[in-house]
Amino acid sequence: MGRRINFLDDHPFDRGRKVRFQFEKQEISGYDREPLAAALIASGVRVFGRSIKYHRPRGPHCMRAHCSSCLMQVDGMPNVRSCQTMCREGMSVERQGGWPGSQWDVYRTVDWMTPKTLEHHGMFTQSAVINRAAMRVVRSLSGLGMAADVATAGRLDAQVGFSRVKPDVVVIGAGVSGLAAALAVAESGFQVLVIEREGLPGGRLLDGSVQFTGDGAEILSGWDAWRRIRPAWDERPQIQLHAETTALAVFLEQHIQVLACGSSDCMEILPKRLIVCTGAYEQGLVYPGNDLPGIFGLRALDRLVFRYGVVPGEPMIIVGESDQALRLALMMAEQGVRLGGVVTQRCDGELVHRLMGRNIALYQGRKLVRAHGGRGIQRLELDSQEQLDCRALGIDAPSSPAYELLHQAGCDVTFRSESGFMLISDDEGRTRRPHVFAAGRCTGTMPLEEARLQGERAGLACVQSLKSARIQTRASSSR
Amino acid sequence: MGAKTLVCRCEDVSLLDLEEAYKEGFRDMESLKRYTGYATGFCQGKGCQAHVARFLSQKSGGDDKVTNPTRTRPLLHPTPVAMFARAGEPELIDVTRLEADTQKPQTGEDAE
Repeated sequence: MGRRINFLDDHPFDRGRKVRFQFEKQEISGYDREPLAAALIASGVRVFGRSIKYHRPRGPHCMRAHCSSCLMQVDGMPNVRSCQTMCREGMSVERQGGWPGSQWDVYRTVDWMTPKTLEHHGMFTQSAVINRAAMRVVRSLSGLGMAADVATAGRLDAQVGFSRVKPDVVVIGAGVSGLAAALAVAESGFQVLVIEREGLPGGRLLDGSVQFTGDGAEILSGWDAWRRIRPAWDERPQIQLHAETTALAVFLEQHIQVLACGSSDCMEILPKRLIVCTGAYEQGLVYPGNDLPGIFGLRALDRLVFRYGVVPGEPMIIVGESDQALRLALMMAEQGVRLGGVVTQRCDGELVHRLMGRNIALYQGRKLVRAHGGRGIQRLELDSQEQLDCRALGIDAPSSPAYELLHQAGCDVTFRSESGFMLISDDEGRTRRPHVFAAGRCTGTMPLEEARLQGERAGLACVQSLKSARIQTRASSSR
Repeated sequence: MGAKTLVCRCEDVSLLDLEEAYKEGFRDMESLKRYTGYATGFCQGKGCQAHVARFLSQKSGGDDKVTNPTRTRPLLHPTPVAMFARAGEPELIDVTRLEADTQKPQTGEDAE
């Protein structure tokens, strides 16, 4: 069902060399700088695992370590995100959840027997004996994967190193705002440590279908903007990037203390200033069947097709209103992906006309009401009762700000229906806590250009604050 | 089949589960979480927190009724316990104290 296609001409990523690995009883090929999820989808795998309670099929959804839909067992290690794990020669990959396996899972009957819901709160509570027996059964039926053996679990422990660093500034998140903040800080000569969960800095600029208005109102593709920003970034010795490293916690008691962990090392960071640019999580929509494999966030689909060259299924349907959604649909068609249509409220504009010009079916003013399918999406139902054949669905919905790090540390958040909870900061990124700044989409939905400006302003405000502290220190020590 | 509308894909919590819980009297982010288990899964609420808040906002008549997400606790990502075994005692010499902005600076702060 999935297939590989050629990269776009300006594709800036390296997928590495070809490797072969074992997926259950199958031998599969991928590339060593390509995530496992992309290689498996290209080989036709749709079901990656089973859900925790109803044993519903699960497949990759966000492609950027935000969700739980692509967890697999890799070399005996359970609950590994296959969207973030690169293919390795000779690795052994298995699905988790289900009996006898995830593809054919007898426990799926639980879902069918409880078409509305399985109300577990009062089940088997009449007798303690029955309750104990029922608990044993439930524990064997539900839950995530388990380590193959004790030796495997021990191997994970052995990999972890620990270090402690004290940079002037730590920036969490190397997206558009984080990059701008780090550059502003580095320009003033301060040491800045940047933590990025993904392998590459760039955030939304890494999307193939994004556009960015650069200096002098020049409109660039995200990839072009990324290419231009890279040298400025690489040339600054003050910037140290830790990619594939996730910030786990921020403590703001007497000092700023950040805990971060990569695949093989953990860090305790004690910076003078903290800038949080964690961005936002891509969200789905709420409708029946919204969890079927083959349904992706718009940006996940972008990444899969344009960055990794893997089409997860055809016909592909795009649901969304943004320019990026329409542009992505157009680019897909230009790349030879068979589109089943675009469901949108948009009726006019250049992108709409270009889609019409390519004879792409536009379902304007319609809404998606339900997704049908078994082990993956098969069909979409619209409110006009039209039924659309569909094997891959891209959903463009407002992202939800990644507010957690600073909320946990005691900063304020606010709620807006359109996007969710977001961090509160002033025009220069200052939060309620001294020395702590937040910028970019973790403070609310905004275009790329605004995220860059916010990051820059927070970086400059941070520099100001470092400089004034320096002057104060000198004054007090000479007194 | 497939008729369930999932709000939290990690823990298989459906829209109907939220409705039922609301009827039972669980009408705020925290108690809904405790009862249904949303946001307690592998992704820790990244995909569902906003949906649930929206659900409550619609039920209770306005965004201002939903003031806070559920309490966020570290750690925010599955982490090997071995990390803490190796961490040892924190080393807090030469580190900027957070009161520096509001209080009289003391010698030795922000030392370069």
